[in-house]
Amino acid sequence: MTDVRRGAGARRLRAAALGVAFVLVVAACGSGRSAPTSTANTTPGGSSTPGSSTVVDASQCTSNLTQGVTGDTIKIGTSLPLSGTYSPFNAILKGESSYFSYVNALGGVTVAGKKYKIQLVSKDDAYDAARTSSNVDTLINSDKVFGLFNVVGTKNNLGIRESVTYPNCVPDLVIASGAVQWGNTQYPFMLGSELVPYPDEMQVFVDYLKKNKPNAKIALLYANDDFGQSYRDTLKDLVNNTSLAIVKEASYNAEGSDVKAQVTSLAASKADTFVLGGTLLACPNALNAAHDAGWKPLIYMSGTCVSKLLFGLGGDGADGVLSVTPLMDPGDPANASSAAVQLYKNQVKKYAPDADTADGIVAYGWSTAALLQKILESSPKLDRVSVMETARTLKDVSGVGLQLPGSKWNTNKDDWFIGETFQLVKYNKAAGHTEKIGSLTDLDGKTASLAPKSLLNS
Amino acid sequence: MALFLTQLMNGIGSGAVYASIALALVLVFRTTGILNFAQGEMALYSTYLVWFFTQRSVPVWIAILLAMIISFIGGALIERILIRPVEKASPLVLVIVTIGMFLAINSIAQVQFGNDIKILPRAYPNKTWLPGGVQISSDTLVLVGVLLAECLILYVLLNRTRIGLAFRAVASNPESSRLAGVPVGRMLMLGWAMAAAIGALAGALVIAPVGLQGASMQEILVYSFAAAALGGFDSPLGAVVAGLIVGVAGTMTTQYLHAVHDIELVVPFGLILLVLLVRPSGLFGSRRVERV
Repeated sequence: MTDVRRGAGARRLRAAALGVAFVLVVAACGSGRSAPTSTANTTPGGSSTPGSSTVVDASQCTSNLTQGVTGDTIKIGTSLPLSGTYSPFNAILKGESSYFSYVNALGGVTVAGKKYKIQLVSKDDAYDAARTSSNVDTLINSDKVFGLFNVVGTKNNLGIRESVTYPNCVPDLVIASGAVQWGNTQYPFMLGSELVPYPDEMQVFVDYLKKNKPNAKIALLYANDDFGQSYRDTLKDLVNNTSLAIVKEASYNAEGSDVKAQVTSLAASKADTFVLGGTLLACPNALNAAHDAGWKPLIYMSGTCVSKLLFGLGGDGADGVLSVTPLMDPGDPANASSAAVQLYKNQVKKYAPDADTADGIVAYGWSTAALLQKILESSPKLDRVSVMETARTLKDVSGVGLQLPGSKWNTNKDDWFIGETFQLVKYNKAAGHTEKIGSLTDLDGKTASLAPKSLLNS
Repeated sequence: MALFLTQLMNGIGSGAVYASIALALVLVFRTTGILNFAQGEMALYSTYLVWFFTQRSVPVWIAILLAMIISFIGGALIERILIRPVEKASPLVLVIVTIGMFLAINSIAQVQFGNDIKILPRAYPNKTWLPGGVQISSDTLVLVGVLLAECLILYVLLNRTRIGLAFRAVASNPESSRLAGVPVGRMLMLGWAMAAAIGALAGALVIAPVGLQGASMQEILVYSFAAAALGGFDSPLGAVVAGLIVGVAGTMTTQYLHAVHDIELVVPFGLILLVLLVRPSGLFGSRRVERV
């Protein structure tokens, strides 16, 4: 006797097909790759108006250059993951909101002699570049913001390049990504934050290896998106013509954080050095997997993972891991006496009581907000072109947020990157915080030349 | 060889999780004929409950047990309240309802518990053994052990008890079962309840080593769907075998198939597509024959 259920077979098959479609859609949303690449091959400064010392060409702008400034308020927009795999980056928002609340309580920022309150409009994009685009569209055209601030993610910012460039001229300031694409001179309205540019990270680590481990055999793990690709491409470039070698590489799905099989594969390569070009949970997962495999390489981990929480999750595998940071570690007792750290801790405790003040991600948000204030206050006029021009001509900026003592941030016509002064650090598990290795690294003005040209102009 | 065996163990470890969630998918499909896209998110919510209890100093195994009990009740209620009214609707409506639940449960969990990474205490010590260079972790052993226990309990429940008999009757022919006096509605609720409880257990165990956050279960759900499709949506045995196959296929692809590195998710999708094209009923599923 056959199992008879009228139409059940066809019905279920159809449902299964729908299921596949759904699953495919979810995956497609996840694996959004980069925006269209431009073919231009310019060098920094190359697109500035001939015969002019300015970087930004105001004559190409048709938008209302003072949009978002009403009375004594400047409306600023941001888009970042508040849900999904990358939701832990919401800690950035806690840091920046605390800073703006703190500044507003003091009367606001002073631009051209007048005080303005900062109003931050934040939107969740779940790290999905398509949602970032739509958020940014809403922020610019409906919320009427003055500019964008600290939008998170490489592919997410690549996806909004056309919305912020000429003729819209919306400052996309202090982008939360260290990708070199922010040096593409076709897009002068985009500027990376104090995050260490990824090629600089690779440069300082390659220098470290040349000195301490000149024949290092490197295994590389990277996220399979534009972010991870930055590490892969620049590392490959820098290792060329040295005695260092990349012996094995593996990528992981950037929408997830399961890297166990990849790390097993890398561990088997007998590499003695491990570069981890991933972020958030993939970092501790990889450290744990390496530790479990009994693999004890010298490990370099992305600066985006410098966070008490992520180091903590890495357990024993996190001990001795190298990374870089442009900021003071708020979890390091040695910094506790710093006035900047005390201010940060007190204010974050006041305005975001649930945030962990020892966490580097919160400190990043706080410091980036301080950097925005610095840029706005240095601007001679409050309009989009002036502010962008100011951001592009920063001179020896110091003491911003938790900026490292002795660090100076510069930008100019030929230097499109801020976070080029930073500290190489090593995580000490027993102490529960990072420790400095050597003195500050200063690669000021060098990022564009360190990066593969194909990546810079992509 | 040691590398191959280590990757095999890695695959079995992941596969055991896919199998557990696939088992939950199959239980729901067997009883109500629905592909529950929210299965992973239900497990996510249950795992947040485990975290919630452990935050209040409940020992972790007790917390898991409590979460399983709550999930069992919650699963039954979801069936009764959300699914029953649309039970007879078109498959499209049912797909939309479960996808709606997927989004809703995920959002509710994040609103209720926040979107920071939560750290779950481990229910057992984290150990790794390296016999002959082959890496075996306590995670893999526990996940496989739990999967076996689930299978055993389900087998006994379904094949050796009156409830199981009624459950199977409903799965095979709800109309006749109703005529024979089987409480069909309650059996449908039981299917959803058991599925939710299994998901809770799998979620709590798999997430503990890696940190809990809103998207923790999404990638797992994709692989579990591949497993359920491969094994046959109406076959518990198929779900388990196929879960392990999908897990091992995933790690082996990472290790040996460089052509698809960067796009490992092609493995589960490829499997789903292949099965639907070649053998829609899956490896172990029963083929549906229609009388015209």
